[in-house]
Amino acid sequence: MTARIETPAQALADPTCRQALVELLFQLADDDLVLGHRDSEWVGLAPHIEEDVAFASIAQDEVGHAAAYYGLLVDLGEAESADALAYSRPPDAWRCALLLERPNGPGHYLENPQFDWGYTIARHYLYDLFEMVRLEALVESAYLPLAQLAAKVRREERYHLLHMETWVKRLARHSSVSRARLQAGLEKAWVDLYGLFSLGPEGPAMAALGLLPGGRDRLWQTWRERAQTLFAEAGLPWPGDPSPVMLDGRAGRHSADLEALLGPLTEVYRLDPTARW
Amino acid sequence: MADERLEYHIYEVFAQESQMAPAVHQFSLLASSPDMALILAKENFLRRQKAWSVWVVRRDHIHRTGPAEAEMFDRMDKTYRETEGYRYLKEKWRRYKQEPLTAQGMT
Amino acid sequence: MPDDYRQYLIRLIAMHGISEIMGALPEKEWVPRAPTLHRKLAILAKVQDELGHGQLLLRVAEDLVAPLGMNREDLLNGLFQGTIHFHNVFHMPAPTWADAGIIGWLVDGAAIITQGMLAQGSYAPYCRALERIIAEESFHIQHGESICIALAEGTRAQRQMLQEALNRWWEPLIFFFGPPPKSELTKHQDLGLMYRLRNKTNEELRQRFFHKYVPRIQALGLTIPDPNLRLDKETNTWHYTQPDWSKFKAILRNEGPMSRARLTLRHSAWEQNRWVREVLSTRAAVAV
Repeated sequence: MTARIETPAQALADPTCRQALVELLFQLADDDLVLGHRDSEWVGLAPHIEEDVAFASIAQDEVGHAAAYYGLLVDLGEAESADALAYSRPPDAWRCALLLERPNGPGHYLENPQFDWGYTIARHYLYDLFEMVRLEALVESAYLPLAQLAAKVRREERYHLLHMETWVKRLARHSSVSRARLQAGLEKAWVDLYGLFSLGPEGPAMAALGLLPGGRDRLWQTWRERAQTLFAEAGLPWPGDPSPVMLDGRAGRHSADLEALLGPLTEVYRLDPTARW
Repeated sequence: MADERLEYHIYEVFAQESQMAPAVHQFSLLASSPDMALILAKENFLRRQKAWSVWVVRRDHIHRTGPAEAEMFDRMDKTYRETEGYRYLKEKWRRYKQEPLTAQGMT
Repeated sequence: MPDDYRQYLIRLIAMHGISEIMGALPEKEWVPRAPTLHRKLAILAKVQDELGHGQLLLRVAEDLVAPLGMNREDLLNGLFQGTIHFHNVFHMPAPTWADAGIIGWLVDGAAIITQGMLAQGSYAPYCRALERIIAEESFHIQHGESICIALAEGTRAQRQMLQEALNRWWEPLIFFFGPPPKSELTKHQDLGLMYRLRNKTNEELRQRFFHKYVPRIQALGLTIPDPNLRLDKETNTWHYTQPDWSKFKAILRNEGPMSRARLTLRHSAWEQNRWVREVLSTRAAVAV
């Protein structure tokens, strides 16, 4: 039985706890912000107008969740504002998994984008299922403010998961073309999949302190079981367990894709970080 | 044919604000199937308003009267089936509460 | 429904819907670059609403073209082939964050004036869509006002950015309501009045825009880039420099500064993702 931590002050009192909690919150916030940013690049260009509208809501939810997690970091004294955390950290301070920083496809969002809907859906589904499993663990977190936030976030995530499952099944079953596109997307996402389950150097402490009950093993086991169920339902072959990745985003090691993402993300903010926008 | 024009099903979307509320028509959208129509309906038409349930129906499964039939909903005086046609009762009750009817004068 | 009434409606509503879809693009450029998390959320929601308005209006237009054997695919192809125009303002560049603010505040402000009139028109399905749209436009204007006021209250560089954006957008805003009366360009305007789809002329709408927004623009300490702009108090009419209306015509022919780039962006995304629309179409699933 792990001790309940009800306030930021209690978390700060124990340096081990503080460090594990801060790392965990950066993982949660950065995953959501980076994917929400990628999603937002699609706006106005999605394959179907109704889907464009629906997908833009998902992008908003992800950014909104990130803002809420950054808020918990502000409460822990990590910065003065959520914006300072989102807009002024160098790439090696980011804790997102590599899967989420990858572009939607070749090209830039303003110039000749050749975004890939097969990859977009594949990546989003794999992440949304992971996020749901992680949130289910977090609602039992020893850190009460996080447990309370996770319960709220989980409600919105139910829609994301339903949305992505509907697409996966549809693409898998419709035609050989759509199935091939989805499978290519899954293969590409699978390369980065291992890193999604990394909790970084603080992972064992997150589990031991009950900040993320069950730790990596619980996430992986639950995730795999549910993903396999959907793959079977959609008639998709199981690609096998993912191989370890070279770069662990949770340890602050990223691809050039993150730097390319942070450029536009912070472009206006950097004009004058002290100004009010 | 690869470049043959694509056709879509039209789904009409309804939403209930609460369990007690009637399902109110929102708008319509293009989708391939009911499950797809449902996930699209939520964010296309219920981004701000409160909702408890959303319904989708393929338009070609709906039967409706058109503008030409609208006239048949006009009616002549049917106040005999409305409370409006019985307003005079209030005045009667007021009078008889003051001055009850008696058998006097009745034969 | 008389044929020429249908044709007029198709032209009006298809252009309106397509303009909303294309109108997402200038502001979309600033969605990934919005300078705070709150701004990022708000501009995402705003651009999303524009696409949602496009969806509503296209659905109305699609129902009108259905008896002619056409659907959404034909409307989008009309855009790509240049037979369906999109609104002049969306052919203009939006090179700074302040442009996103001016679009939200003044372009949407102009749009709500036109849409408020159109919502009283004679075609009920269009009016129903407009009612939903207008309810959301009030958020859009406040979103734009909020960006512009923050910049106006900000540093010298921020104020300059805002002033420069206003300078860029003033002429497009004059163009917004279309040419004044007695011009060869106004025949559609007259038909609209005849069919009770509009009850005000282009010039009446433009005057309304001046009355509402000139004082507000000045209240933020901004200079309107027209030395001839003044209110004649006796007639309650604003005088302004007539822009070169041949330029307006050229923009509508897709010869504006960003016409080609935005059409190419929209068109290539549409073509690249055709395979996804096949999945969403009535084309039967093939067993795999």
